[in-house]
Amino acid sequence: MDLYEIRGRLDVIAEEIALSEDEDPAPVDEGSKEVSKEPFVLVTKKQPDPPASTFQRFSVGTNESLTFEPYVPSDEDEPSDQRAVAGLLLGSDDVFAGEPLDNTEEMVEGLTAKSESDPPDVFCMDCRTPTRGFQRRFGPHKNHRVVLMAKAAEEIKNELNKTKGKLGEKITQMENFASNLEEIFITVEENFGRQEQNLEQHYNDVLQTLSQRYDERASALEEEKKAKLEALYTQLLDCGKTLDTSKELIETAQELYRNENKFAFLQAVMPVIERIEQFATDEPDLKLSASLEFETPIADLSDVKQMMDSINAIPAPSAPVMNPQIPGSALQTCVRVCWSLFSDDTVEYYELYSRLVSEDISQEMDTEASMVKVKETHCTVSNLLPNAQYEFWVTATNTTGISPASEKAVYMTVPAPPVIKPRECTSCQDAALIRWESGNTNPVDSYTVELSEVSADNTESSITESIVAIPTCECLLQLQTGKRYLISVRAVNIGGPSERSQPITVSTTGTFFHLLEDTAHPCLSVSGDGFTMFYLDEELPLSEMTFSDNTFARCVAVLGDLIPIRGKYYWEVEVEESTEYRIGVAYEDTQRNSYLGGNNSSWCMRHVLTPSRHKYEFLHNGWTPDIRITEHPLKIGVYLDYDQGKLSFFNADLAQHLYTFHCQFLHYVLPCFALDNPGALTLLNGMAIPDYAKLP
Amino acid sequence: MALTQVSSNKCCGGYQKVFEHESSELKCKMKFGIYLPPKAESAKCPVMYWLSGLTCTEQNFITKAGSQQAASDHGIIIVAPDTSPRGCNIEGEDESWDFGTGAGFYVNSTQDPWKTNYRMYSYVTEELPRLINSNFPADPEKMSVSGHSMGGHGALICALKNPGKYKAVSAFAPICNPMQCAWGQKAFSGYLGPDKSTWEAYDATVLAGSYSGPELDILIDQGRDDQFLSASQLLPDNFIAACSEKKIPVVFRLQQGYDHSYFFIFSFINDHIKHHAKYLNA
Repeated sequence: MDLYEIRGRLDVIAEEIALSEDEDPAPVDEGSKEVSKEPFVLVTKKQPDPPASTFQRFSVGTNESLTFEPYVPSDEDEPSDQRAVAGLLLGSDDVFAGEPLDNTEEMVEGLTAKSESDPPDVFCMDCRTPTRGFQRRFGPHKNHRVVLMAKAAEEIKNELNKTKGKLGEKITQMENFASNLEEIFITVEENFGRQEQNLEQHYNDVLQTLSQRYDERASALEEEKKAKLEALYTQLLDCGKTLDTSKELIETAQELYRNENKFAFLQAVMPVIERIEQFATDEPDLKLSASLEFETPIADLSDVKQMMDSINAIPAPSAPVMNPQIPGSALQTCVRVCWSLFSDDTVEYYELYSRLVSEDISQEMDTEASMVKVKETHCTVSNLLPNAQYEFWVTATNTTGISPASEKAVYMTVPAPPVIKPRECTSCQDAALIRWESGNTNPVDSYTVELSEVSADNTESSITESIVAIPTCECLLQLQTGKRYLISVRAVNIGGPSERSQPITVSTTGTFFHLLEDTAHPCLSVSGDGFTMFYLDEELPLSEMTFSDNTFARCVAVLGDLIPIRGKYYWEVEVEESTEYRIGVAYEDTQRNSYLGGNNSSWCMRHVLTPSRHKYEFLHNGWTPDIRITEHPLKIGVYLDYDQGKLSFFNADLAQHLYTFHCQFLHYVLPCFALDNPGALTLLNGMAIPDYAKLP
Repeated sequence: MALTQVSSNKCCGGYQKVFEHESSELKCKMKFGIYLPPKAESAKCPVMYWLSGLTCTEQNFITKAGSQQAASDHGIIIVAPDTSPRGCNIEGEDESWDFGTGAGFYVNSTQDPWKTNYRMYSYVTEELPRLINSNFPADPEKMSVSGHSMGGHGALICALKNPGKYKAVSAFAPICNPMQCAWGQKAFSGYLGPDKSTWEAYDATVLAGSYSGPELDILIDQGRDDQFLSASQLLPDNFIAACSEKKIPVVFRLQQGYDHSYFFIFSFINDHIKHHAKYLNA
């Protein structure tokens, strides 16, 4: 009979109880009640999922349960049936066997006190039991907090939920603890296993040594015994022989003594006497040929003793293992070196050796290793060279001894910060080209450019963007128009990034560039700030002029370092009324030995002073339109727009448009400036493009 | 001032229209062409007045110059009036092509029989702008003037005589110094009488010498093969010299190979409209 069946039967019983409640409220004798009570109590305790019946209201150990009319057997058959259930339940779970009996008495008492037939409608919160409304005023629940059944159920459910929650937490804690315990258990087990193994091995070693020692000793003893016995036996034989010889001699003497013949006696006696005398002089060797003492020295068990002692002593550590360099753990002059030991090893201290690894193999021998003692498994080694490789290895030492050296690991210090070259940085409205020097003698892996925006109130925002893995010493950055940026560079190698370089401020309000002095004609000098160019009146002898492939050789000109992007650019040039100049743009490879505007690789505005008037030419390929300008510009605006393919010139003071070249520039062009007679030009940079210049 | 629409043609997204009205200044019916760019449908637009040359009507410019696309692009209204009163039945008005009908010279005549009707200066600087501003979506603060030949002379004097009134001025092959050329002398003596001092008020070169007012930025295009240039009718050098003297900014472009025709205007009208747009749309 399984539990389900039992439940089915109990349901039947419950219904019967309900019936009996209504129909037969009469008290019954105590004996039968005692019997009948048992299964009910058991059922309430046992039921894992109580059916929605009156059973739910049963409660063990409280008086209130007594208000409920328990089952009264009405005929002979049922009690036996119930007994069977009770017996079965009792039999199936003995744990509950004692409880109902304890409560029986109370319940019986309660029963006699009440005879209510109505089901309970309220619940006493103090006694935790259902009761009837009228009992609130008197009876056991007087002054108790009594609430309606539904509310009580809800409250108690809530409480139950809370308790359940707490219990859940506890279970989780307990589970965690259990899993911890489990781990600890395993670890302890492992550790002990290892310990046992060690012990066993040690004792085996000792036993082996002992047995070896026993064998040695035993065989030595045996040999000694054999030698001694042999010696003694030989001695014994010798003694026997001597005795025999003596006896024979005595017999010969006696025989001779008895001889009557005096002559014969005398004739024969002399050799015998000689022999006896000789014999008598021969001192018989009566010393034992073998020593009675044991020759074997007392066994030297000191080594065994040492072994025994060393069972508890620690072994010398094994070679530690160098850890590879952790990225970002190095600085310019120091690295943090880490290594590990084997978990079984006990180490008192480590000796860390380091040596500079030279890129130049021939110098490798020159660098000497240095050593430091450390207690930890890491060490920050300082006073190193930047961007250099160092070899590290380590030994571990404890009371027992020193380990072999670890493998060598190569660590690298980070590079020195790069140095931005402000004269070679150029920018426009939406981009900047930053150039820098490595700052390190040996090559680094890459560079990182970091930029942050400077807001109007001069506060620097955090790094807004980084460009990483730049292989060369320059970087073209896309920027937003009309902002101010602080840009810095870091050099990066395996060891990590260097410190930030000195930052450079870039404004994206307009075009910014310097003059390319290496393109300047020898007669053209550039001011310290790189923005003013002079053609001095002194005649320089041709022999003193130094020309390179890049310098203008005929036209006294210089190029500007415009950012190579097909964007929009505007710059201005200050001139004097008498200055004869050429201002414009040219391809980077424009012929150095021809005049600007005189070829098809340059476009420029030219000012010529004739005796009668100022002449303005807009030259490309040697051709100019015929244009008269009444007001002589002193500040010339140059607007270059790749998209629209145009190069415009303005009298910037008047916002007057002077001329526009329409040309699809095939390559990047650079600003160009030339002086046709002594004078000066000043480049004005960084202003925003005027609206009138941008008109389509 | 009732306006009568004579024609309307959709053009470059906007409309090229011709209106006729009764001019109080000229005491006759006058026609003018007006180009309304698409922008005019939703906003007030600046107006460029185009003054045509000798013998022209309102039709020449609107049919030959090809100005509509640039005007549409820049959102500029272009008003092109006729070049003189018409049908006034003045004796001798149709006798020659360079005087009378089609040759108003943009002056206010002081001489009989012309002085009643031939008041083109007042017409183009006062009456017509009033008419345009009250009947079209025009921004009264934003006007400029340009013209060709006699109209170029008109544009220059309008701008020089009314400092600040016109935001921009340009001209194609203008008669720069009418007092010194045959056309000018004929017209001025007819309209203004023999007193040459009264002529000075309508001579761009003279006016430039006495100009004071907001900075002007004058764009002038001149065809190098213009027969009237070589006939010394236009005399731009005199004007340039006066402007250089007075530091009036002029960009004078001598365009190689071009003559005096509308083919020349057509070739550079975009530059001029852009020049006007720079100031009108500023």
